[in-house]
Amino acid sequence: MTSFAELALFLVVLSDFAVLATSRLSACIRAIAFQGILLGALPLLIHLDISGHLVVLAVGTAVIKAGVLPWFLRWAIREAAVRREVEPLIGYMASVILGAAALAIAFAVANALPLRMVGTDLLVPVALVTVMIGLVVLITRSKAVTQVVGYLMLENGIFLFGLTQSERVPFLVEIGVLLDVFVGVFIMGIVVFHINREFDSISAARLTELHD
Amino acid sequence: MTDSQSGVSFTALAVLLIAAPIIPGVASRTKAILTGRQGSPVWQLYADLWKLAQRGTVLSTRTTWIFQLAPVVLLATTIVAAALVPLDGRVSIVRFAGDAVAFAGVLGLGRFALSLAALDTGSSLEGMGASREVTFASLAEPGLFVAFATLGVIAHDFSLSAMLGDAAGRVGASGGAGPSLVMVALSVFALSLAECSRVPVDDPSTHLELTMVHEVMVLDHSGPDLAMILYAGALKLGLFSAILMNVLVAASGQGKWSFGGAAIAALVASFVGMGVSIGVVESIVARLRQPKVPLYLAGGSALALFGLILVLR
Amino acid sequence: MNVFLAGLGLILAAGIGAALVRGTRARAGDAVYQILLIIGCITAGAAAGRVLALGAPLSLTIHGAMPGGDWVLGIDSLSAVFLLAILGVGAACAVFGTHDLAAERARGRRATWFTQLSFATLLAAIALVVAARTVVVFLGAWEVMAISSYVLIVAHHEEENVRRSGLIYLVATHTATLALFAMFATWDAAASSWSFDALAAAAPSLGPGATIAVLLLALVGFGFKAGFVPLHFWLPPAHAAAPSHVSALMSGIVIKTGIYGLLRVLLLLGGAPAWWGWLVLGLGVSSGVLGVLWALAQHDIKRLLAYHSVENIGIILMGIGVGALGVSYHAPVIAMLGFAGGLLHTVNHALFKSLLFLGSGAVYRATGTRNMEELGGLARRMPLTWLGFVIGAAAIIGVPPFNGFVSEWLVYQGLFSAGQTSEVSRLAILGIPALALISGLALACFTKVAGVVFLGTARTAHASDAIEIPRGNYLPALALAAACVTLGAMPALGIGLVSATVRELAGVGNVGLPAPVISGASMISLVALSTLALSTLLWLTRRALGRRWTARREPTWACAYDAPTPRMQYTSSSFAAPLLSIFGPLSGVRVERSTTAMRTHASDAVLDGVALPLWRRVHRAALRLRGLQQGRLHLYLLYVMAALLVLLGYLAFGSRP
Repeated sequence: MTSFAELALFLVVLSDFAVLATSRLSACIRAIAFQGILLGALPLLIHLDISGHLVVLAVGTAVIKAGVLPWFLRWAIREAAVRREVEPLIGYMASVILGAAALAIAFAVANALPLRMVGTDLLVPVALVTVMIGLVVLITRSKAVTQVVGYLMLENGIFLFGLTQSERVPFLVEIGVLLDVFVGVFIMGIVVFHINREFDSISAARLTELHD
Repeated sequence: MTDSQSGVSFTALAVLLIAAPIIPGVASRTKAILTGRQGSPVWQLYADLWKLAQRGTVLSTRTTWIFQLAPVVLLATTIVAAALVPLDGRVSIVRFAGDAVAFAGVLGLGRFALSLAALDTGSSLEGMGASREVTFASLAEPGLFVAFATLGVIAHDFSLSAMLGDAAGRVGASGGAGPSLVMVALSVFALSLAECSRVPVDDPSTHLELTMVHEVMVLDHSGPDLAMILYAGALKLGLFSAILMNVLVAASGQGKWSFGGAAIAALVASFVGMGVSIGVVESIVARLRQPKVPLYLAGGSALALFGLILVLR
Repeated sequence: MNVFLAGLGLILAAGIGAALVRGTRARAGDAVYQILLIIGCITAGAAAGRVLALGAPLSLTIHGAMPGGDWVLGIDSLSAVFLLAILGVGAACAVFGTHDLAAERARGRRATWFTQLSFATLLAAIALVVAARTVVVFLGAWEVMAISSYVLIVAHHEEENVRRSGLIYLVATHTATLALFAMFATWDAAASSWSFDALAAAAPSLGPGATIAVLLLALVGFGFKAGFVPLHFWLPPAHAAAPSHVSALMSGIVIKTGIYGLLRVLLLLGGAPAWWGWLVLGLGVSSGVLGVLWALAQHDIKRLLAYHSVENIGIILMGIGVGALGVSYHAPVIAMLGFAGGLLHTVNHALFKSLLFLGSGAVYRATGTRNMEELGGLARRMPLTWLGFVIGAAAIIGVPPFNGFVSEWLVYQGLFSAGQTSEVSRLAILGIPALALISGLALACFTKVAGVVFLGTARTAHASDAIEIPRGNYLPALALAAACVTLGAMPALGIGLVSATVRELAGVGNVGLPAPVISGASMISLVALSTLALSTLLWLTRRALGRRWTARREPTWACAYDAPTPRMQYTSSSFAAPLLSIFGPLSGVRVERSTTAMRTHASDAVLDGVALPLWRRVHRAALRLRGLQQGRLHLYLLYVMAALLVLLGYLAFGSRP
């Protein structure tokens, strides 16, 4: 089973880079939805004992991360009437190179971290990569929708981390999924919509006008 | 407590209740003699109390029930306080560990009630009296407690009966606590002048409202109420004279009275002695100005503090 | 234990009920709130009472993958005593507050349901703090308590004064939480898990440095909450700004959680070194004296009562200090006396301070002002309030036959017995005159309050137009007053209540309290009852004989002056002036004179002298850090990522196991 898990993790990394590289917002959303499905499948792939609890968790994760949240994002795009992302702060080429550097750091650090390896030893590095690339997206993108995608990627990375601890703290994963829902509703509804309404734009660069 | 002992204690209480009013009389008589006057007779307060008891009361339109309750509470608390002091030189009627605190507490209740009654009248004069009274009382209390603490350390017990009663004499003599006890006696005398509103803190014979402290506080009371207040004042003087007598006897290192009659006689003698001392002080010393009174009280407390330090070493 | 949790659940349900049934059906909501809350308090209180009566502590462990390990709750004798006080006083304050809020609703304030909800949350949180047995539950409940207190304090947030007070409170309480975090972190380093049992087991293995750190941090953290000098500066503004029933709860109960924390730390550590006992005793003395002194200078009733809370916390600390000294010098009698005095005074203070605050709340509702200089003569217009207030005042100054006397008597005993023993602790006997000074000043202060507010004649229209609150509304306060009188007349009740806890704190197992205390308690009953009986007898005699005497009513004698006015009465500032002038600059009274007017202003030395300058300095330093914050979101996120990378690097390559 581990080979399927490793395949899934590999695909997760690919979807991370997909978000980094593309300039079309709908492509970003598709990539994160794909990631959601992978993340839903991963608990089943990693743990050999399939219990009802685990199946419910997997299906719930997949539904929320791959269905509900991307739907919200697409609705937000329609309401705000944006299509393309503008050039990120450091350029697409530099973003991808940064992503690759993050991958290298993640693998280097993961070996040195005193974490228990569960299932496959790809889990921790991939989690780290997802977190870091999520942060990069958050930092370098200017459209609020893309920033939300970056935040969701950050969360997916944390979810992956949670999977390594899930035997000791099964609660934690479920609480993390609940947080997803909360985040989704909160960020989407308030940030995107209100920024658009208040400032006639959802460009995050305009947020600098908030400081005194 | 054996029956004979308790009998003596109750007799002593009865003697206090009957004989205490001679103290102000003795004081004024002493003062009169020292200043070359005839003066009022020693039993003047009895006559005053009788006269007041016959009269009607005049109440202010502003006062409430607390004005009439205060003299009652004052008298009741003073009598209860008397039950805590070993008047016969041996044991008190009610005693328990730490009853010195109850003694001060009960007297405090009386003072609280009387101060509230003073403010009840809504008069600026009485308010002034109440203000000064509580000021001086709050500064005199710590000194009194230092004296109690000293006595307690000497007697190894915090009960008034132990501090002032039977055991005190023996311990005092053998423990070499004589000088300490003398300090305590001086301090208690000084502070009792404050607590009972006598010169040099307050002048009971002045009639100017601005110079009175205790007298102005009870300005509006009349008739039986005033009688109760005057009587309670005399009782308080009696209590302090009993305390002083016991401390002095302990300081002298003598044993205690071997039979009850001597104890009663000593009690009455202490009343007379207190009256004379007050009269002498009032003839020699003038009333202190208001800002100086705290210094006086601090001095009294310092005497007791010296006594405490002497005995703690 | 489930009964206890059910009680807490009912209390929370009361709040939620009030939130749901609001608006036009607010009166039904009030009824729902009161009924559910009282039932909840009785239920939870029954569980606590059972612990005390049977001597069998309760415990509940919720296993599971909660953060920080299992969640453990427990009620032992210490928690039970506090719980009884918390629930009893809390119920009284809640019921009183409901009527207050109903009156405010009538005047047009909306969202009173939010205050009800916060109050219920606060009560449940305090009960949980006292019942917590792991660090996580303790700190979580502590924070909920702090936040809900803040929400309640700023209930009248349209006033700028109230917002400022709330801010000061928030800063102080979060400094306290920070200190507590540090304390638990230091302690946890040596312990195996985060439960209190593990902490207790780890106590012997704490090094001397760690022990000092834990004790000092506990003193700072719990001290901010308890409010002793110099950590008291948030207390007067906060308690004055809050609605009266909230002030009653805060002064009576919330600050006691600080005392609870200190006692719990003491229990878990198994005693403290002697220097800590001396420090606590010294802090107690200074808080007591300074607290009552600063109270004398106030003319706002609630600020005055708040400073009195500082003073009473000082007295409680004196008792605890003596107890701790007894434990460290291996003198169980001293320890028992000290702890008994401190603990009983905690309970007593909860009772009479809430009573006084509820009284001041009634005054505020009737007159619309808290300034004593504008009141007067309320005893005739508000007789029931006056009765409750004078009982509370007599109780707080510590005279028989009320309950304040009993706890002070125990503390005196503790100080005296400490002064009897070994050479060093003989200094404790100097606490006796200090306590006497505190009592004397308290008497002066409450004569002032009771006299200026209720007696004499009305000084302004506020007082002359006062309308007594409906009698039923005042029932909770009268219940508290009855409790004060009962505990004062029968001290054996109070002492019995705390005896199990005292024995545990002093570490003496099943040894009873010293015999002098037991016999003294019954003697105090005798003194109290004889005072009451003698007073009644004399009063009845006077009334009976008085019918023969004519009683005329005349205006008060004003030295033959024909037209005395209410303004000629003694004001509260002038009443306190002689005493304050003796203490000079220590009293914190500033006098401003011009050619035609004089004004005195009572300032808080710690707030104005230390806290605010410190705050301003920190603010200036923080302004210099502004350059790092330019409002660019991307920059902030870059900071986050940089921090993450640094931490990862440290974890991976820095700390080697």
